Amino acid sequence: MSEKIVVDARGTACPGPITKLVRAYRQAKNGDIIEVLATDPGFKPDVQAWVKRTGNELVELTEENGVIKAVIKVTAKK
Amino acid sequence: MTKGLAIVMFSGEAEKFIPLAVLTQTAANLGVPVKIFVTGYALAYFTKNKPEPRFTKEFEDMAPKLLEGMQRMQLPSWYDIIKEAKETGDVKIYACSLMAEVMGVKKEDLDPIVDDMVGAAFFMTETAEYQVIFI
Repeated sequence: MSEKIVVDARGTACPGPITKLVRAYRQAKNGDIIEVLATDPGFKPDVQAWVKRTGNELVELTEENGVIKAVIKVTAKK
Repeated sequence: MTKGLAIVMFSGEAEKFIPLAVLTQTAANLGVPVKIFVTGYALAYFTKNKPEPRFTKEFEDMAPKLLEGMQRMQLPSWYDIIKEAKETGDVKIYACSLMAEVMGVKKEDLDPIVDDMVGAAFFMTETAEYQVIFI
């Protein structure tokens, strides 16, 4: 069963949001969805770089009222 | 992408531990191996009897704002960031054997986050293909 994991990294600064994402990713399995909420202005380029590096899938990347939301589909777990 | 990150940690000023922690954590998050060579004034901060961190004299006036901002951002201490990075990725910390002898630091005096005490030849060979950062 695929799961949806929500990671609230609002208020933390670099490298906090990516660290929290990685913490969730370590527990996740292929097919899971990780949704990260962050306010760090560096998070947008950072999460794109992380996805590119790790080979997972970025389903959604939006920003509303200063909150960046990244939805990642876990596809690269070995 | 680089094969790994070699960080030579020489400085002992409190503010220099921020880039050490952030670069190490980031590399761990990206799956990039990190090897840290602790030498110079930094070595004392990797022992069990760590001294109180001190800020650079020239930038002393900035220290309160820096500390306040870090507290507001709930940034963990450099030590906790490094500890977490070690759990996340491939992070190794080596104490410089020359500096240890100079300062009278024994292997058993080192903080548990330190993996081993080594010489420069070992570190240079291990990180031959890594990107090197000097802090």
